[in-house]
Amino acid sequence: MGGTPVPHVEQFTKHSKSFDRTYKPFPLYNIPHTLPALRPPLYLCSNPFSLSDLISSSLSHSSMASVAGSSTLMASIACRKPNQASNFNAVSLSIKGRSFPSLKSGSAPSRFRVSCAAKPETVDKVCSIVRKQLALPEDSAVTGESKFASLGADSLDTVEIVMGLEEEFGISVEEESAQTIATVQDAADLIEKLISKN
Amino acid sequence: MFCTSALSPLQLPSRMETHLWYVLPNEVKSQSLLSQYVDLLSPLEKDHVFSMRGEELQKSALLARALVRTTIARYQIHSRVSPRSLVFRKNAHGKPEVIWEQSDDWHPPPLHFNLSHTSSLIACGVTVGSPIGIDVEEKQRTMKSNILSFAKRYFSCEEVEVLSAISDPEVQRHEFIKLWTLKEAYVKALGTGFSGAPFNTFTIRFGVANPNPEDSAIVIVPLEKPTNLTTNWQFAQVQLAGSHYAAICRQNDGLPGGASMKVIVRKTIPLVEEHCVPSIVPVDD
Repeated sequence: MGGTPVPHVEQFTKHSKSFDRTYKPFPLYNIPHTLPALRPPLYLCSNPFSLSDLISSSLSHSSMASVAGSSTLMASIACRKPNQASNFNAVSLSIKGRSFPSLKSGSAPSRFRVSCAAKPETVDKVCSIVRKQLALPEDSAVTGESKFASLGADSLDTVEIVMGLEEEFGISVEEESAQTIATVQDAADLIEKLISKN
Repeated sequence: MFCTSALSPLQLPSRMETHLWYVLPNEVKSQSLLSQYVDLLSPLEKDHVFSMRGEELQKSALLARALVRTTIARYQIHSRVSPRSLVFRKNAHGKPEVIWEQSDDWHPPPLHFNLSHTSSLIACGVTVGSPIGIDVEEKQRTMKSNILSFAKRYFSCEEVEVLSAISDPEVQRHEFIKLWTLKEAYVKALGTGFSGAPFNTFTIRFGVANPNPEDSAIVIVPLEKPTNLTTNWQFAQVQLAGSHYAAICRQNDGLPGGASMKVIVRKTIPLVEEHCVPSIVPVDD
């Protein structure tokens, strides 16, 4: 594995070759934090629907947060992030003279979700709230990449976590936004976005 | 030893019935049985199961998939449908559904299903001709937040009033959980996701108390005008295994108001056994 930036890719493509193209690795965690350094071919040239599929594949489909049934909180495919799309406007994305029409400002709904990483302190606070809600031992590995559903959060847990985050950070998380949270990192990023709006 | 050959077929629910299946993970211990369940899964599902943190969560996720696959396959009379051959997808809002193989000589029944699980119980509801949503929660589940604070944040004013009026904290907690499962079941039945029907945009109202608790109608009262929320839904509340509350929501097919849903509850171990259990309306302990 050494050195490969996307270790999860191997694991998933091994299983998903002959199957559902929606189940692909999650580049959300691997998008470089400095936008201009974005590696275009992977995200820009490929099928514009692929990232929304990626996001939907990371959503649980049980009750709000757990997978096996049908989730309400996590269920909808949330790719509408016009605020983040505008980040692309500032970046020159023309490669070999071609620009990518899907990224011109306002021309198409953004199907990307760019994670400008939240501060580590925010991620840590989210981890701590999640651990407390799910009664996880202190030494259990909870990181930005941890998915709420994989940690055992059901719908009620997820909503309690969101409420805990609202109280901790003094923000208000609307249902549309709450529905997009699948991982600790998602929550931390949303928190910082909401804080910066306050 | 258990029989791993053909699963015995099941009669589809009539349009008036709802079938509710549940499995208790604690009762499934055989490693070879769990391996058989893994064999039923699609690659996607296997990845998902093994992405869960820890054996208990993996087992629960595995049982959920095994339950839904084996149950649906049993309802099919057509021999081409086996638990392994079923293909699932999510609708535009993420609600899982079966993709049926279309052919000239076979038309799939309008079968709907919905899953819910807690760590200690996994349930699957099945209907014909109506979308369905179910939600289960442990009766003994404690909230980390204060119940009324939580309700004020997420529920409707009328619901907060109902909960506030309950003085016994245990009863209040039970009623809160029941209300949560009913709201969840409704939103899952709608299939539009949490943001499609935010919890504070509708009230779940209990009908006039009458001698038979099974007949008190539960109705949806949308709070916004105009509203996208439909109200032609009926509910049932069932207590499972003495330990869980389950709420079921399905469409009200023009039945007279207050007619109770006919729910057939079966406890099962997929591929092994099942038996009918009486449908018990939750009673306040």
